[in-house]
Amino acid sequence: MKPSIDITNVLLVARREIHQILKMKSFWLTLLILPVAFALGPIFADTLEDNEPTRVTVVDRSGGDAEQALEALFAAEEAQGLLRELSRYVRRYDLQHADPQAPWAKHDRWYTAADIIAFERAGGIEAALEKIDAVRPEGVPAFEPEETQYIFSPIPEALIAAEGEAFGTQARALFDADDDTAPEIVVLIGENYPANPRIQLFSANPPQGSFVTTIQEALTADLRARLLAAQGIPPANAAAVQSAAPIVAVDTPPPGGGAREALLVRSIVPLALAYILVMSLILSGSWMLQGSVEERSKKLLESLLACIRPEDLMYGKLLGSLSVGLLMILVWGACAGVAAYATHGVIADMIRPALDPVSSPGIIAAILFFFIAGYIAISALFVAIGAMVDSMSEAQGYLMPVMLLILLPVTFLIQTILAGNSGWIVQVLTWVPLWTPFTVLARLGMGIEWWEMVGSGALLATAIALELVLIGRLFRASLLASGQKPSFKRMIERLRGTPG
Amino acid sequence: MSVLQVSHLVKRFDNVVAVDDLSFTVAPGQIFGFLGGNGAGKTTTLRMVLDIIRPTSGTISVLGSAPDRRNAQAIGFLPEERGLYAGMSAIDTIVYFGRLKGMKAAEAHSRGMDLLARFDLAGRARSDIGDMSKGMAQKVQLATSLVNDPALLMLDEPFSGLDPVNQGLLEDEILRASRRGAAVIFSTHVMQHAERLCDRLLLLRNGRKRFEGTLDEARAALPARLIATAKTDLSQVLGVARAERGETRSDGWQDWTLHLSDGVDPAAVLEHCSSNAIALRRWDEHRASLHDVFVQLVGADPEHDPVAAEAAR
Repeated sequence: MKPSIDITNVLLVARREIHQILKMKSFWLTLLILPVAFALGPIFADTLEDNEPTRVTVVDRSGGDAEQALEALFAAEEAQGLLRELSRYVRRYDLQHADPQAPWAKHDRWYTAADIIAFERAGGIEAALEKIDAVRPEGVPAFEPEETQYIFSPIPEALIAAEGEAFGTQARALFDADDDTAPEIVVLIGENYPANPRIQLFSANPPQGSFVTTIQEALTADLRARLLAAQGIPPANAAAVQSAAPIVAVDTPPPGGGAREALLVRSIVPLALAYILVMSLILSGSWMLQGSVEERSKKLLESLLACIRPEDLMYGKLLGSLSVGLLMILVWGACAGVAAYATHGVIADMIRPALDPVSSPGIIAAILFFFIAGYIAISALFVAIGAMVDSMSEAQGYLMPVMLLILLPVTFLIQTILAGNSGWIVQVLTWVPLWTPFTVLARLGMGIEWWEMVGSGALLATAIALELVLIGRLFRASLLASGQKPSFKRMIERLRGTPG
Repeated sequence: MSVLQVSHLVKRFDNVVAVDDLSFTVAPGQIFGFLGGNGAGKTTTLRMVLDIIRPTSGTISVLGSAPDRRNAQAIGFLPEERGLYAGMSAIDTIVYFGRLKGMKAAEAHSRGMDLLARFDLAGRARSDIGDMSKGMAQKVQLATSLVNDPALLMLDEPFSGLDPVNQGLLEDEILRASRRGAAVIFSTHVMQHAERLCDRLLLLRNGRKRFEGTLDEARAALPARLIATAKTDLSQVLGVARAERGETRSDGWQDWTLHLSDGVDPAAVLEHCSSNAIALRRWDEHRASLHDVFVQLVGADPEHDPVAAEAAR
């Protein structure tokens, strides 16, 4: 009869593994780097983000009022965007009662020029925020309007007299000059406009599509007004025709709602779990591998094997690796909790719907199962590698294919799920034990049938049992065989447990 | 009752027989020398006793039961290839191995500190192994094998790599363990240590036992060599297998080197000479040394060692 597992020795080995990893500087660096990166990320993003509005100069030599039309349209678009954002904010935090008649308290339509005029007449954003702040509960963040995207600047002297090719040369010279007041976009409307409807646009950087579309919209309206006037239609009639627009009623889901947005929100935690599982597995597996390589290279194994069964040594290493992984996740989770608490409503408001798909006791049990099973399944591969190699450089040869085998499908899986796709590839990944833990965890957000979860979990458990038997044999047979690379044939013999 | 009993032990690695029908017993308090060249099967036998590898056939009984890690609490083992965790302190290392052998942490710590004090390392108990000299680390490793006061202490080539001071310390520890009743087995191919320490010896060659017995029995296994000076032709004396003439002196005296027949006692030949009025001016008896026995029975260390290579796979 085979002797049973010696729990005391397994725990002793696990404790030593944990101590060894905790003494590594790389562990602490890795443990802290994620929270620090998350904390510093927004700061860097703010620093790197170009919040400065783009300076636009319109040179209208046709004698018309195209410049004013352009400025007015951009201003209207900014106001419409602001109104939309304010409306979403009010709806997210249920603040409509601040002024139920205000346009920003109504979410059932696409805002028109009339809404914008009403908004401006009521005092604009300042007046709206005053009303909202009066009823805003504690913990709800204040509304922060987005920065203005474009500002219109007067025509620089260099462009006033420039003609033809020289105009372009002067404009490009302005772009190259280190001057914070010089225009970044120059729109030139020629003398013969609208007879010659060609508009020239000089830009320091590739212009945004929305900018060009707005220019086109504004100038098209201006062009049509001039053409209608030329046809003898009174300007008032022409303006009425131009401003005629349908009222579009809109039924939008609340913030965080809607099929795609809801899927994204619901998938945040499951995808993060899958990703963290991969990350912590690779990290703790590598540390465990370093320990195994030390045991081999420092000729420690024979002393150890005189006191402990190879299987107990293997289980101890797996348990140590699992504990370190769980510790990392616990710390990262605690950091996320502290961040959520520190930022009050913002993150908590996002986290609440994100936690919905993973908050039932059954799902929590499933997460724990697939998390631990995934850890054991993959860590056992690292243990096997550690048993066969004498140095980390030798280990790299085995590590690379294992990493690719795990990382590539998981990266693909995360992208597929973010795209809302649950096609046959996701189904296949669910049922291949190597990828089952990551796939099931990642699919929790988009929904997975219970029978799939139970079936793939049972298959995974069976595969792990078989894997542990095979790797246990390989581990036992490989431990004392140092100084030579095992051939493929020899590895198969060890997996089969061929005596020798 | 014997502490270790090995009976008809065989270990094959593919087509190579590493240990071939080996039997021996080791009693409490006995110091048992396991002698043989490289690849003779010494380490393979010790690994089978420790249950690190399994025999092809034959039986092993350690303290009355089959090899098992449950016996670890009664066994101390010092492997030939030595090493410890570089990042662990000396005392933590000893406690770790003590606990793996089933000791309580406090007991292992107290015993570990006693050993470190005895090895003049008490002041370095909290030092990491990586910060110690090789000699210090070897003493810590010896302490890991002694921490549990083992009933069976097995040392595989324990003297290799030790400086003379540490060799002396190790000899003292072997004798100390024997005095408290432990059975001690050590493998070596350095004959001086075996001659000084062993109560009983086993010589192995290619996995087969070539000799087992006491030091005297080993030396008696080879015929003694005698140097004699006489006027008579000594080649005809009863019990002399072969006689070589040496220097001939002017007054008729002749030096002889005598090789006796197997099992003939040199004293009996001397007695025969006296009773037959053979005048002798010199009678020097040279008994075989353990080195002579080793070379005769085991031969020179093989350059190529297929068994060791196979065992390492």
